[in-house]
Amino acid sequence: MGARSFSLFLREALTSIRRNGLMSLASATTVAVSLFILAVFLLTAVNVDNLASTIESGLEVRLYLAADLDSTAVDGLKAQVASLDGVTEVRYVSKAEALATLRQQLGQDSDLLEGIDQMNPLRDSLRVFTKGSAWVDAVAAGAATLIGVEDVGYTHDLAQRILRVITAIRLGGLALIGLMVLATLFVVSNTVRLTIIARSEEITVMRFVGATNWFIRWPFLFEGMFLGLLGAAAAGLAAWQVYIWAVSGIYTNVSFIPVVPVYPLAWRLGFSLLGVGGLIGALGSVLSVRRFLRV
Amino acid sequence: MLQFYDVCKTYPNGTVALNKASATISKGEFVFIVGPSGAGKSTLVRLIYREELPTSGYVFVNGANLSRLKPRAIPYLRRNIGIVFQDYKLLPRQTTHENVAFAMRVIGATPRDIARRVPATLDLVGLSDKADAYPDELSGGEQQRAALARAIVNRPLIVLADEPTGNLDPVTSWGIVQLLLEINRGGTTVVMATHAKTIVDSVRRRVIALDRGCIVRDKQRSDYGDLGGGERAWAQGLSASSSGKP
Ligand SMILES: Nc1ncnc2c1ncn2[C@@H]1O[C@H](COP(=O)(O)OP(=O)(O)OP(=O)(O)O)[C@@H](O)[C@H]1O
Ligand SMILES: [Mg+2]
Repeated sequence: MGARSFSLFLREALTSIRRNGLMSLASATTVAVSLFILAVFLLTAVNVDNLASTIESGLEVRLYLAADLDSTAVDGLKAQVASLDGVTEVRYVSKAEALATLRQQLGQDSDLLEGIDQMNPLRDSLRVFTKGSAWVDAVAAGAATLIGVEDVGYTHDLAQRILRVITAIRLGGLALIGLMVLATLFVVSNTVRLTIIARSEEITVMRFVGATNWFIRWPFLFEGMFLGLLGAAAAGLAAWQVYIWAVSGIYTNVSFIPVVPVYPLAWRLGFSLLGVGGLIGALGSVLSVRRFLRV
Repeated sequence: MLQFYDVCKTYPNGTVALNKASATISKGEFVFIVGPSGAGKSTLVRLIYREELPTSGYVFVNGANLSRLKPRAIPYLRRNIGIVFQDYKLLPRQTTHENVAFAMRVIGATPRDIARRVPATLDLVGLSDKADAYPDELSGGEQQRAALARAIVNRPLIVLADEPTGNLDPVTSWGIVQLLLEINRGGTTVVMATHAKTIVDSVRRRVIALDRGCIVRDKQRSDYGDLGGGERAWAQGLSASSSGKP
């Protein structure tokens, strides 16, 4: 395609969009709405993902040790635990450290612990970090059989349940995104089909004077792409503003929930939306022009 | 230039439009296709520009077997063929000039070539003064001449005309036929499907007659004079019947 044809096709596409003003507006709006929903979904997904990995990285198994272990025995045990499948890190916590941590956590109420320094009721322990929630059960079971381990604790049942819900949300979101893309494709291809029908006379003439199929296709392809890009731009701007608002809301009200910062996420989302919008628009128009080119 | 070998065409609904038709048309010939309505004239024309494929048999255009032509090659076949229809098929929102230029733009002609060739072609068909008129501002004959200009502007090897005079009165029809004859004199092969018996009888050219899909007659005319006796007689008849006109 030469530069001359390119500008010709572009002009034809713009003229056609202007001529079908209302219809074009309607379909760009539909693209915008579905891409906006898509964007909200993606933003949610990114944050849920972020949340999931935060939770997962915090998942640990606690091994309480027998009181009579010397440091060599502890080191041996550490090595044994570290070699279990799925273990990423093993950290020793002495009972004195545990008490200090507890005192810190209690803060002003730490005077409750007054006088128990001499008879510390806590036990030495190993903190075991795993690759993810899937490994926790196996690691706990494996560690329980080791000599010197008195007790195994992993009270992160709730965390695991949250992770399962998150997985379900992710799958459902993917299906929904697929549907959304199909619906958008359908809408754009219908709009472009209207243009094509309005210009079917012209297509007939083009065909018998020897226009190639691509020559006929390009203006419609540009038209679809324009509608897609227009919708995507609107969706992107809206999603951007909504995300800024949501992030600041979460930050001020429920700051313990980790959120992905607005930038550079917004840029990446914007470009993805433009890409998806343009692609859907182009594909939609190619699909509807196809039947008019059948020989 | 054009060869048909035992061409049969059966439409998907079962209608047999052509039945074992064989004919050869040489470069530079002028051929009428005649026959009653439904005989298969338009079908024959559509086979030549590869709008339809034969159900069996072969159609060769300029040496190419159309049954084996790849779809992507069809546009390039059609650039060698100028086509004129009964209903002109001009684009209503474009002027005469734009309609003719459209055929050049579509095949990627440069603006310079377009600016040079379109006026010359309009001049040839006698429409120079109507270049900026829209189709609905033209008479039927003028519209057909514009369509003819569009068909020949890319200098095709073959001009196909399917009932080009079907909507025109005898005088106007005669003008169109004269133009086709003139295009033919330049070496272009012309195939014209028509009902107009008077035209066929007056212009002494080859006639292929179809009836219910079969070629029932293929008569070469020996008299290739520019204005044969019959032609002259018809022209005189016309001028007599419209003697009120200048
Ligand atoms: N697209 C089609 N589908 C089915 N049947 C068709 C189609 N086109 C033509 N026919 C049938 O094929 C036969 C030949 O048609 P064709 O148009 O070639 O005739 P024709 O000689 O051009 O007639 P006319 O002089 O009326 O234009 C007719 O019986 C017609 O009904
Ligand atoms: Mg016909």
